[in-house]
Amino acid sequence: MLSPGDASLHRLRGQMREWGADFRDRALELDRDPRTIRRCLDLPAVRFLAAMGVPRRYRRPELIDGHAFDGATAVERVVVMEELARADVGMLVSAPGPLLAGVLVQVTGDERQREWFYERVLDRPLWTCFALTEPDHGSDAASLRTSLTRRPDGGAVLRGAKRYVGNAVRAQVAAVFGRTGASMLGIGAALVETSTPGFHAEVIDTIGLRGACLSAVRLDDVEVPAGMVLGQHLSPSRRGVWAFTRTFNLLRPGVAAIALGIARGAYEYLLASRRLWTRGEQHHLDRLRRDLDGTRALVLSAAEAVDAEPGEGHLASAAKLRAVRLAEHATDLACALLGPGARLDHPLLDKMVRDARGMEFVEGTSNMQRLTIFHSVLSGRLDRSLSIRRSRAAAPSRR
Amino acid sequence: MTAGPDCYRAARTGGLAPALESLTAALLPGALPYGPAGHAVTTATVAASATHAWFDGVRHDREPEGERTPAVAAVPGGPVLILRRAAPTAVGRPSAVPHHAWLSGLAWLRLGLSEALRLSCMDYLGGRRVGATATLLHQQLVKGTVAEAVAVHLEAHAVLRALDGEASGAAERVHRLITGADRELVRLLGASGYVTGGVGQVADASELLADAYCRQEPPC
Ligand SMILES: Cc1cc2nc3c(=O)[nH]c(=O)nc-3n(C[C@H](O)[C@H](O)[C@H](O)COP(=O)(O)OP(=O)(O)OC[C@H]3O[C@@H](n4cnc5c(N)ncnc54)[C@H](O)[C@@H]3O)c2cc1C
Repeated sequence: MLSPGDASLHRLRGQMREWGADFRDRALELDRDPRTIRRCLDLPAVRFLAAMGVPRRYRRPELIDGHAFDGATAVERVVVMEELARADVGMLVSAPGPLLAGVLVQVTGDERQREWFYERVLDRPLWTCFALTEPDHGSDAASLRTSLTRRPDGGAVLRGAKRYVGNAVRAQVAAVFGRTGASMLGIGAALVETSTPGFHAEVIDTIGLRGACLSAVRLDDVEVPAGMVLGQHLSPSRRGVWAFTRTFNLLRPGVAAIALGIARGAYEYLLASRRLWTRGEQHHLDRLRRDLDGTRALVLSAAEAVDAEPGEGHLASAAKLRAVRLAEHATDLACALLGPGARLDHPLLDKMVRDARGMEFVEGTSNMQRLTIFHSVLSGRLDRSLSIRRSRAAAPSRR
Repeated sequence: MTAGPDCYRAARTGGLAPALESLTAALLPGALPYGPAGHAVTTATVAASATHAWFDGVRHDREPEGERTPAVAAVPGGPVLILRRAAPTAVGRPSAVPHHAWLSGLAWLRLGLSEALRLSCMDYLGGRRVGATATLLHQQLVKGTVAEAVAVHLEAHAVLRALDGEASGAAERVHRLITGADRELVRLLGASGYVTGGVGQVADASELLADAYCRQEPPC
């Protein structure tokens, strides 16, 4: 497994930085019209994202500077996400690819489901979505109400409503969570083609992150074919809350990296827009640079931690909590240093301000991250993992 | 002087557009108010009826050919225009209303909007269940956030009441505090606060007001 200090990760970072230039060029156009992404499917970064996370056994991974990258580890993903979000988060979140749905399939899919899903992903650019949040249940996703009613033939029927689902309007395949029974264990997920009768999605216009095309989804008795209910080979306790918690743990360092990327984007925007700074301003800039470095270290160690043990989410929560605040701080500082009317005169910066705010809600709000961190303290998991990390650090290196 | 408290009430009950019209009519009748770098956040009615421009405390002629409307924010209470013009070339006349008087009026206005936002949050959180019985309003972290915002509002009231006639630094500070309180409150609305045309966008437009008119101090 790659470690954050690995030289090949620097190559990945360098390549993403170079490819990110295409994203920056299209950022404002996509913000005005999210359909812009359909004209960008041949950009190298979009092509990379379209297959990111598909494991090597299903394809030949992308070669960058002679190194193979498939984006299947959290460590690789945070590098990709930070660099592309630094260029433009809108393009990043609008790109086709397996992302959350892909990780869920990896976590709960059986071999046939994985093959079906990855084939679809590799066949042509495939937008996917991960439909968990409901109009009345966001942070408290475990109380969801959509029904996933099993049928004797192995299929199921979905009925209910989802809200704020990224990319649902353009997705061809959706991973949808629903209730299979009344208890906490009575939650499952299924893969459905969005062309199935009864699947309706419409865009919810948002202040920022407009590339994500947040959608309201109505599920009017959507038929799930036999073999498309996920996790049937797993114990019931691993199909619902466990599955989405693990999926979020694996991707949350990436979400933190996106927020970090926005913060870096704002910092670099500032540096590029002016040469001379007063001492006071320079002090703010220096402090921001150190904050960026510190949060990046946290994001990378969160990624390493979930790659080693996907059940341990507290570092990922800490990374998301810190990175989201930093994104808001960096974009606000940029506005303050550029003077009155900065948001009105710098559309790209204005976009960064609006995008940064939306990161609060992606994969759990700050309060939910705080609660996760606190539970890890209370349960002793945090201190256990710190002592393991300490003893690993003390052990002689084998490299 | 009642212009501030009046527009505070208008903002709290009617929204941004009526409050802007109330403040402009009371402080700068007939003017199109621009901030230090030439931005105005105003309504179509004010823009259509203004006979002159007020440029950060100085009265100037309007230059309609140099005015642009780069954006319109459709928010509850009525649409708000964002206008841009270049710095005036001619020398203007000092206005009876200095920069800091307008800024403190705007701070009153934004305080009214921020309190309306707090009320929206209370409605939302009170209607949102966690598990079988509790509501979001009963979560300690949520209570803490609401209380912090209210503390800021109370401080803003105290400062603004004492502010009449003072220099602008104190008003700019109130603007910064209100922006911080709004950010925290908007988080409490979950993703519903991120939807265009809703109360989250009013908070965003309120920030744009501060952006246009304050000579900002960097956030801590
Ligand atoms: C850009 C974006 C992309 C998204 N993508 C997806 C997606 O692809 N799929 C999907 O299913 N959903 C998606 N969402 C929805 C997102 O997951 C939810 O917005 C998020 O989980 C919060 O839920 P909510 O909006 O209902 O807020 P609520 O749950 O109503 O929360 C409101 C406020 O209460 C606080 N709160 C909630 N519970 C507690 C508690 N127990 N203690 C203390 N405070 C609490 C929250 O922190 C928040 O401040 C997306 C949202 C955004 C903005």
